[in-house]
Amino acid sequence: MVIFGLLRNRDDAMEVAQESFFRAYRKITSFHGQSSFYTWLYRIAVNMSIDHQRRQKRSPLEFRESMDEVFEQQNEVAKDPFSDVHDRELREKMLSAIDDLTPEHKAVIVLRTLEGMSYKDIGEILGCSEGTVMSRLHYARKKLQNKLGAFYE
Amino acid sequence: MPAKNFKINLAPFMSNCETTREILGAWLDGELVPAQAEACRLHVDACAACREERHKLERLHSTMQTVLSSSASKVQFDPFWQGVQQRIAQQSKWYDELGDWIRGIFTAPRLAWAVPAVIVIVLAGLSIDSFLPNAKLGMQPDNLATVESIDAYGRNVALLHEGETNTTVIWLYQPQESENDSSTEPSESKPSF
Repeated sequence: MVIFGLLRNRDDAMEVAQESFFRAYRKITSFHGQSSFYTWLYRIAVNMSIDHQRRQKRSPLEFRESMDEVFEQQNEVAKDPFSDVHDRELREKMLSAIDDLTPEHKAVIVLRTLEGMSYKDIGEILGCSEGTVMSRLHYARKKLQNKLGAFYE
Repeated sequence: MPAKNFKINLAPFMSNCETTREILGAWLDGELVPAQAEACRLHVDACAACREERHKLERLHSTMQTVLSSSASKVQFDPFWQGVQQRIAQQSKWYDELGDWIRGIFTAPRLAWAVPAVIVIVLAGLSIDSFLPNAKLGMQPDNLATVESIDAYGRNVALLHEGETNTTVIWLYQPQESENDSSTEPSESKPSF
């Protein structure tokens, strides 16, 4: 879920998630229990997702097609909580705004919002301090607010 | 549970909207220590603009949560596990692992300084003789005898100095012509230490 939240392309997310689990399987001997197993696994997955985003910057058109594909293929558009026109527009704007964030900002937003992780856990996963996590979250939210300003007036 | 004190000076943000907004998100996330959280709450209660900012942040968080959850929950796990099992079955080649290792070293941000640092150290090591000629750390071995002076007043004189044992040798010898003249002691014409 985190990888899909970061990449928001089903094929890419599947590829990166599989590779993350495979790497964890291969390097399981390097896990010495300094952090929890889930933190270690998240670290591999999130770092691979960030690397993937840096290598392969998708165009907004590709991104939109990718999201539509996910919703349409699974025939869940009708059940989507954003079925209202205004809400659907807000969802698209929101996803587009998140996609425009830097990989590091996107990572803190997804880990906090989707997984509800503490700043300490996010810092361990991303290899930075809690203060840095706090700062990144602040600026990421500010950017999102600026892009979605019209929806909150 | 409040996690850490982020070392923000409490005094200004109790009355400063800008500083309060910088930690508003952390306050809503429950990541401030009690004293900071209380000061933040007091300011937000007293300031209409910051209260509105708080509501905007809460709406943003709620919308993000719904958007991200609704899209991420559509991931199918069966094909995912099949793919992982397939990778494990295939395993990776040794050169893939070597490539990963090398890539890890050269792409690690904390090691970005290491490459120029190594270059500087190597260059400093190679050029240290230029700056410290007496340091004897250079590449040239110091145990070779060096000729310091040659003079000729009837006889040729060579002064040789060997650095390692600090030995100086005075080398006297006659030219070939005079050697022929005085053939009684040929051994004197040869270099003698």
